[in-house]
Amino acid sequence: MTYSSTVPSRGAGFTQVLNAEWTKLRSLRSTWICVALTIGLTILLAYVAGSGNTTDANDFGPQRVFSVQLVHQPLTGDGSIVARVADQDVTGPDAKAGLMITAPVPAPGGKEGGDPDPRYAAVMVTPGHGVQWQSGFSHTAAGSSDPAPRWLKLTRTGSVVTGYESVDGVTWTQVGTNDVTGLPTTASVGLFVASPPTGLKSIRRSPTAIESSPDYTLSTATFESVGLSGGDGVPITGAWEHLDTDGAPRELPDDNVAGSFTEDAGRFTVSGAGDLGIQPPGFGADNDVVRDSLFGILIGFISMAVVATLFITTEFRRGTIRTTFTATPHRGRVLAAKSAVLAALAFLTGVAAAVPAFLISQPLLRENGFTPPAYPTVSLTDGPVARAVVGTGLVLALLALLALALGAWLRSGAAAITVVITLVVLPLVIGPFLTLEGEAWLKRTTPGAGMAIQQTRERWDDVIGPWPGIAVLCVWVGVAMVAAAVQLRRRDA
Amino acid sequence: MSVATRTLHAEWTKVRTVRSSGWLLVGIATLTLGLGVLVAASVRFAECAPPGGECLVDPTRVALSGVYAGQVAAVLFGVLVVSSEYAAGTMRTTLVAVPRRWVTLVAKVAVVGGPVLVAAVLSVAVSLLVGRVVLPVNGFTPANGYPALSPTDPATLRASVGTVLYLGLIALLSLGVALVVRHTGAAIATALGLLFVFPLIAALVTEPRWREWLTEWAPMSAGLAVQATRGLEAAPVGPWQGLGVLAAYAVAALVLGGVALEVRDA
Repeated sequence: MTYSSTVPSRGAGFTQVLNAEWTKLRSLRSTWICVALTIGLTILLAYVAGSGNTTDANDFGPQRVFSVQLVHQPLTGDGSIVARVADQDVTGPDAKAGLMITAPVPAPGGKEGGDPDPRYAAVMVTPGHGVQWQSGFSHTAAGSSDPAPRWLKLTRTGSVVTGYESVDGVTWTQVGTNDVTGLPTTASVGLFVASPPTGLKSIRRSPTAIESSPDYTLSTATFESVGLSGGDGVPITGAWEHLDTDGAPRELPDDNVAGSFTEDAGRFTVSGAGDLGIQPPGFGADNDVVRDSLFGILIGFISMAVVATLFITTEFRRGTIRTTFTATPHRGRVLAAKSAVLAALAFLTGVAAAVPAFLISQPLLRENGFTPPAYPTVSLTDGPVARAVVGTGLVLALLALLALALGAWLRSGAAAITVVITLVVLPLVIGPFLTLEGEAWLKRTTPGAGMAIQQTRERWDDVIGPWPGIAVLCVWVGVAMVAAAVQLRRRDA
Repeated sequence: MSVATRTLHAEWTKVRTVRSSGWLLVGIATLTLGLGVLVAASVRFAECAPPGGECLVDPTRVALSGVYAGQVAAVLFGVLVVSSEYAAGTMRTTLVAVPRRWVTLVAKVAVVGGPVLVAAVLSVAVSLLVGRVVLPVNGFTPANGYPALSPTDPATLRASVGTVLYLGLIALLSLGVALVVRHTGAAIATALGLLFVFPLIAALVTEPRWREWLTEWAPMSAGLAVQATRGLEAAPVGPWQGLGVLAAYAVAALVLGGVALEVRDA
């Protein structure tokens, strides 16, 4: 006679396992204490980040920059200059090579040299923005969107200066024209080159001292068929002089940015750094106010790591794991269920911490000078901000899973907590002792790389993109989970 | 044998016979030495000195930087001596055997501090030796203003002795934390948090006043101020003064732990 139970088999259903694990997790008082601590610490850190950061980025209002390499000679009265920009190094979208007429400039007249004289007009080619016209900083106009090679021409009639461009040096198109009031009768006219820095570069002089400076690069341009003529069309053949108005002192190695000028059989090669035009306020202000306000989650994680590891190591210590495995013989399923409920709790905790952290820190940061235009106001509904806030929950969930997997693998709460906290936090503490590349490598390869999800603007110390960072963390979690699953199957409970 | 000697002997037997103790002491030594070697091998003189400028890297600090990893093992050692007794229930036996609880506390301080100091002396000495050999290879030569590391230099000697004491104090601080918290996981997280949280906060704020305050009063950065051999004028806290701050934390934790041991049920 065979017997079969009339009670439907329910033990194996995943929902039941999930429910069982959720009951274990939620009925521990320590779970909720640690969740509260995680949220509290993150918010506290947001408060600290909000109050402990100040900036004066907006105090450096729009700045006039007249830092160029000028190859010039005097022109009295009306006249015009023509040249073909044969070639220009692409050192950034705003590198400039072109023709200029200006009131005589004292050298150096760069931004360190006080208020430069705005009585100038220039027509130039740029690699990224085509042909441009500038006069007295305030007047600009755009020509065609083509880069070098290009013919350029500048003519002076009275105090009116006009810039032209041409493909062939025969048919000319006007780019811009202005009445340059105050342009003296004898003005300097010639070729100029500038190349604004496109980023920052840094060196580490000691673990606590990093120096950053704009990444100056020389752009070299070649001018051909340079022709200067007077108002009557008669060519003028004077001596060309080189003037460097980009004399700002620079401290970092490799700042070899001294401009130069050579002439060889009518080919003028001019190279230089610097810029011409208005620098917007807050130039170089690159604090990530979103990341700063959410970074505290890493400290909240220390508390979450305790919940996550103990969720499984306590079962080994108390022996309840045997009951658990008797109820659900498929051990991988137990690990999956534990992962699911823990990840859900950690994700919600992370988001619940990130939203108030963001909301509390932003007004504090605004009070401390992080205001437009240098720091545009950010809101939770901005794409990158939402990604950072939700990503904070994601990072906390993944880190919790890493802690759980280490706990299941090592079966010792002490070992797992120590290992996970050390893996995540120690690279940040020891990083400053390494070279900048060494530190970047460490931050890129350790689980903390996931924190990159909080980045909302480009910064010089970014080591990895938001989603690649999450991918690195996922690899850590995956490897630890596989090791844990294998160990759970192989070893007695 | 007096009560003190017997208690000390009993505590030493407990520490000596637990397998994790030996591993953790080896861990203190190897982590300190290992990370120190890695950092010393990775720094380059050429990358820190602008032409005509001064490199601000402190070679002694670099050679002894392994302590950042070694202290993790010291934390574990200090915590486990207490918390494993609470977890296994042997604390009740211990307290029955030695009813004067503070005697047990003093004995525990001795059996935690002593072995940690021995492991620390070994690893610090070898780290210095490695730094002496490796740093000149990376450009930290006398010609560049970096004489070879030597314990005969008073500042280097101070940094070395201070680092040994630092590791001992960290273990005692953790012992005190464990007496208050009792739970292994929570005690480890609390002790590591106490060490690592402040540097992370310091990295987050730009306000110089806040940074200075955090360096001056956080147990790790204050304690490791004792490693400084250069730029002492600019340091927010003096070498011994900084180690004193850490000692104050350790004493406070031990006093709190002692009070908890006296007044609470085991």
